[in-house]
Amino acid sequence: MTNSINELDHAQVILVAGSNTTEAHPQVARRIFHAVDNGAALIVIDPRRTRLADKARIHLQLRPGTDIPLINGMMRCIIDENLIDDLFLSMRTENYFALRDMLLKVDLEETAALTGVPRKLIARAARTYARAQRSTICYCLGVTQHVCGTANVETYANLAMLTGHVEQEFTGVDPLRGQNNVQGACDMGALPAVFPGYQSVADPRIKKKFEQAWGVELPATPGLTLLDMTHNRGAASGSALQKALPRLRAMFVMGENPMLSDPDLHQVEKTLKGLDFLVVSDLFLTETARLADVVLPAASFAEKSGTVTNSERRVQLMHRAIAPIGDSRPDHRIIMSLARRMDFAMDYESPAEIMEEICLLTPIYGGMYHDRLASSHGLQWPCTDRAHAGTPYLHKYSFTRGRGRFVPASHVEPAEPVDADYPLMLITGRRYHHYHTGTMSRLCPTLDREEPRPRLDMHPDDAAALQLRQMDRVRVSSRRGSCEFNLHITPRTPPGTLYCDFHFHEAPTNKLTLATADPTARCPEFKLCAVQVRKGGAG
Amino acid sequence: MRDNLPPRIRTTNRNPYLPRQAVIREIIHENELVNTYILSFEDELYDHGFTYKPGQFMMVSVPHGGEAPISFSSSPDKRDGFALTIRRSGSLTNAVHALGTGDIIGLRGPYGNGFPMERLRGKNLLFVAGGIGMAPLRGVIEYCLQHREAYGSLTILYGSKSPAEFSFTRDFDRWEQAGCCLRLTVDAGDGKWRGRVGLVTALLPENEATAGDAALVCGPGIMIRFVIEGLESRGYTPENIITTLERHMKCGIGVCGHCHFQGKLICTDGPVFSRDQLSDLTNL
Amino acid sequence: MNPVILSKDHLVPLLRKISRSRRLIAPLRNEHGDTIFSEITDLDGAVPDLDNQAQNSLKPFFFPQTEKLSSYIIDRDPVNGALRYSFHAHLPENRPTLYFGVRSCDMFGLMYTDMIFLGGAERDIYYEQRRKNAVFITIGCNHPWKNCFCNATRTGPFLEMGFDLQLTDIGNRFFVEADRAGGMKILRNYPQFFRPVTEEDRRAQFQAALEARGLFRRLVHVDLAVKLLREQEPESLFAELSGRCRDCGGCAFLCPTCTCFNITDRQLDEDGGERIRSWDACTFSGFSLMAGNHNPVDCSTGRIRRRFLHKLKHDTAKHGRPSCVGCGRCVDICFGGVDIVRFINSISALEEENGREENHER
Repeated sequence: MTNSINELDHAQVILVAGSNTTEAHPQVARRIFHAVDNGAALIVIDPRRTRLADKARIHLQLRPGTDIPLINGMMRCIIDENLIDDLFLSMRTENYFALRDMLLKVDLEETAALTGVPRKLIARAARTYARAQRSTICYCLGVTQHVCGTANVETYANLAMLTGHVEQEFTGVDPLRGQNNVQGACDMGALPAVFPGYQSVADPRIKKKFEQAWGVELPATPGLTLLDMTHNRGAASGSALQKALPRLRAMFVMGENPMLSDPDLHQVEKTLKGLDFLVVSDLFLTETARLADVVLPAASFAEKSGTVTNSERRVQLMHRAIAPIGDSRPDHRIIMSLARRMDFAMDYESPAEIMEEICLLTPIYGGMYHDRLASSHGLQWPCTDRAHAGTPYLHKYSFTRGRGRFVPASHVEPAEPVDADYPLMLITGRRYHHYHTGTMSRLCPTLDREEPRPRLDMHPDDAAALQLRQMDRVRVSSRRGSCEFNLHITPRTPPGTLYCDFHFHEAPTNKLTLATADPTARCPEFKLCAVQVRKGGAG
Repeated sequence: MRDNLPPRIRTTNRNPYLPRQAVIREIIHENELVNTYILSFEDELYDHGFTYKPGQFMMVSVPHGGEAPISFSSSPDKRDGFALTIRRSGSLTNAVHALGTGDIIGLRGPYGNGFPMERLRGKNLLFVAGGIGMAPLRGVIEYCLQHREAYGSLTILYGSKSPAEFSFTRDFDRWEQAGCCLRLTVDAGDGKWRGRVGLVTALLPENEATAGDAALVCGPGIMIRFVIEGLESRGYTPENIITTLERHMKCGIGVCGHCHFQGKLICTDGPVFSRDQLSDLTNL
Repeated sequence: MNPVILSKDHLVPLLRKISRSRRLIAPLRNEHGDTIFSEITDLDGAVPDLDNQAQNSLKPFFFPQTEKLSSYIIDRDPVNGALRYSFHAHLPENRPTLYFGVRSCDMFGLMYTDMIFLGGAERDIYYEQRRKNAVFITIGCNHPWKNCFCNATRTGPFLEMGFDLQLTDIGNRFFVEADRAGGMKILRNYPQFFRPVTEEDRRAQFQAALEARGLFRRLVHVDLAVKLLREQEPESLFAELSGRCRDCGGCAFLCPTCTCFNITDRQLDEDGGERIRSWDACTFSGFSLMAGNHNPVDCSTGRIRRRFLHKLKHDTAKHGRPSCVGCGRCVDICFGGVDIVRFINSISALEEENGREENHER
């Protein structure tokens, strides 16, 4: 997030895109509710009429995958009505004319037809967002999990820069991260092209710094992305890109369950089963762990100390509450034991000592020492040294690259549009009561009771056309596989679109999804694939 | 709380959450989905002193399956064991159906208020049952037959989805021979059925009810509602329309809150209610 | 018994003496700035926090969030193969305890849960095991906290009875009243700590109690809400608030008078498991779910309906007063702004609006 969560309380306009905030980020939704109670305007961009959309002043119920034309449409309205922030444009941005030229070619009638959102509503949303001083954009996986995910985000960023709604308090472009520490994982370099702190592996000075610190030679080229790893043994008809990948012989999977959470499970299974050696460390014997040669029992959050970094870049200290149960070990001990056996002396006495090294080598974490974190509610990076108080909102004086660059984008059709054989669009996502592949949440009796079985949401018109009734077992098939759900008929999902979750191993949703990914971010298009639905077998 | 004083102390060491062991003595296969289990407690001394009222229920435990409330379908006069009639619908009831004679289940109870057999003495009783709702009413019918002189005429109206889904078919002849008027109806026939087809509400008597008439109703919530409305329009007074309601339960003793309904707890204030105790008939 | 005075200097020494024979539970502020009722084992290292509201009430000590009720064993009869199935109760141990620094609202909450668990058709033996041999030293609230409305629920800020000892802070000393046997016993066993009250002490206590009543920051029309609910149930308000409820259960978990629970079997292996009781909330959709997927309560509109009707209408009808004790904990915890204060004020506002409309029509 460029800004902080508590700033939402004081926003005048909150534009929420691709986020079912009340179910996925309740604490953020709480702030949004509070802002709305105090008069803020909520604009929700979501193909489904979510609970959040019920509370919105304007719900832009767009066709899935049409964020770019929708936002371009809004920007066109903003230009037409002269609501752009000229000063901000001239002082803080570049490439505006390329954006403007693209926008001037936008036909708002076409936009309305393409997105399914009435032109008047697009204009009203644009006006509302642009006119206010304190407007914020929050977005989540509904924006990023597309083949054009990167372009989607750039387009929302264009909108924010066009109207000067960034680099100030109570504004910003705020992605809502999922796991409590996915931000932290990225910060620490669990990405193929960067060292911790987003320092590029290609930069020779950075490379030398880390080589000195760790006493080894490090690669100068990026590593493999997640899909490169789990889709390593593509089918014979795999892409040239896939065929050119280095063949993986072994994998160490830590706290992830790609056998349920990665797209196109058939490929994942083929890859994992084809490895010479697979090690998994996890709390439970997941579907992925079942395929492993060695399973290392890992300790849960309550059994270890360390830090987590959330959406608003806040690093918070987590305190161990109980000793690790049985033979389980905290991740850092697992890694250190393995490293020692591989003749690399890795010997940190405590997570605090590990953090000291992080502070040494990672500028944005320069001042994140545990004792500082212990005496506060955490600190937001960049926090460059012991005296630094942390950074509530970013880009106050300039963007990281200097000036913000407009990147004009045009509509990208979904990788797999619907057709006569597969006439319905499937959106995959989450449900309130369960977490990811349910390895933890399905073991809780109350959560299990609230959401006991895999559900497929369908509009009443579609259900009627297929002669299906509430709670019917249905079989959903895509070009890649099929699985069965229990039908939940609801008008909240628009006609022609379906929604399901991936929490239940009995309904491995990713058998259906596409591995086609955004070329830059390599994020798979989880949000869209074409399916057909038939009545299923006996319950 | 009325006078802010702490509750009076009662002295008992009984643990109300601990099930007792009961042995399945006999299983009667009523139909595809329904079995009647004749049970008695393993502890013979306890079993000897055990009694209950028609309309009460037991909390039934099966291994790894939790507990569910099941009404008695026998009269307390039955000496050799008591009957719980169970319809397969969820994981627990399916688990019971997988058991055989000699197997043990856990039981707690009897709970609930039971039917007001004293108050109903001398009245002509109309029993209206839908589907598995016949089970608790059967206990009352058997009780009345055992104390025949204490009750007036006994009329039984029993509706089922289909002919194959009736329970207690083995009792029908005996009831008729004992003088009960028995009328059956099904929602849909099966080609062989020669009886009535239609809702059980269509079987309600034409005549106006008198002060000496009472009706006992049990079945799906919506059926209870329509039957009660039909009875009211025929002049049955609210105190003389009696039903028994079903709810998800966890404790059976009025603490867990799950069976809360219209300000009452079905496990302790019910499950038997008369019409005048119900504020409305929606969501029964 | 006549009230007495305990000098503040002598509080810890008194607690030290009592805690030789009793576990001491009191509000304790931890290193993260949270005040929580906790066990104090070392009075030199930790002092009761009488300045902040404890985030938990006393409820978890008698009715914990999860507890094992029993374990069960399954095996087969070696002769005829029949299923054998038995339960073994797992009763909690009882520890004589002094609960110190309890506020009136929480004491009222306790009286309510005593009635539910001990005053019903059956006594809850698990609650009783944890509950017996307890002594309560309560303290009146000279300064109600920001969400408090015990004056509106008539459950504070001072109690008239039900405590063992009640303290009122009157500067450098406490005004001490005794009501129940446990309190009398403390005064009898440790007379050296107490001196008789003077006229000045009485005036100071009177003043403190009087001032407390003027310091409430919230005006909450509990009695008006109770009256309105008797007449009519505001369906549209329930529907609107149900739409805001985020289904987290926080209100029920924190509330001193919420006692709903779930019982589930947790399988440990093929031939055994545990029967566990855990907190539940009537705001959860699955609370009334029956086998066959029949749910008599529609949660899109009814989610919070039964919660508020239970607290304000049904409990008043059954017990003579609403079961909300005005502690205000649900106000801060609620994600969606559907706490009881919001409900009560909404229903009062609705009534006022209806009244205005009627007047207008005339």
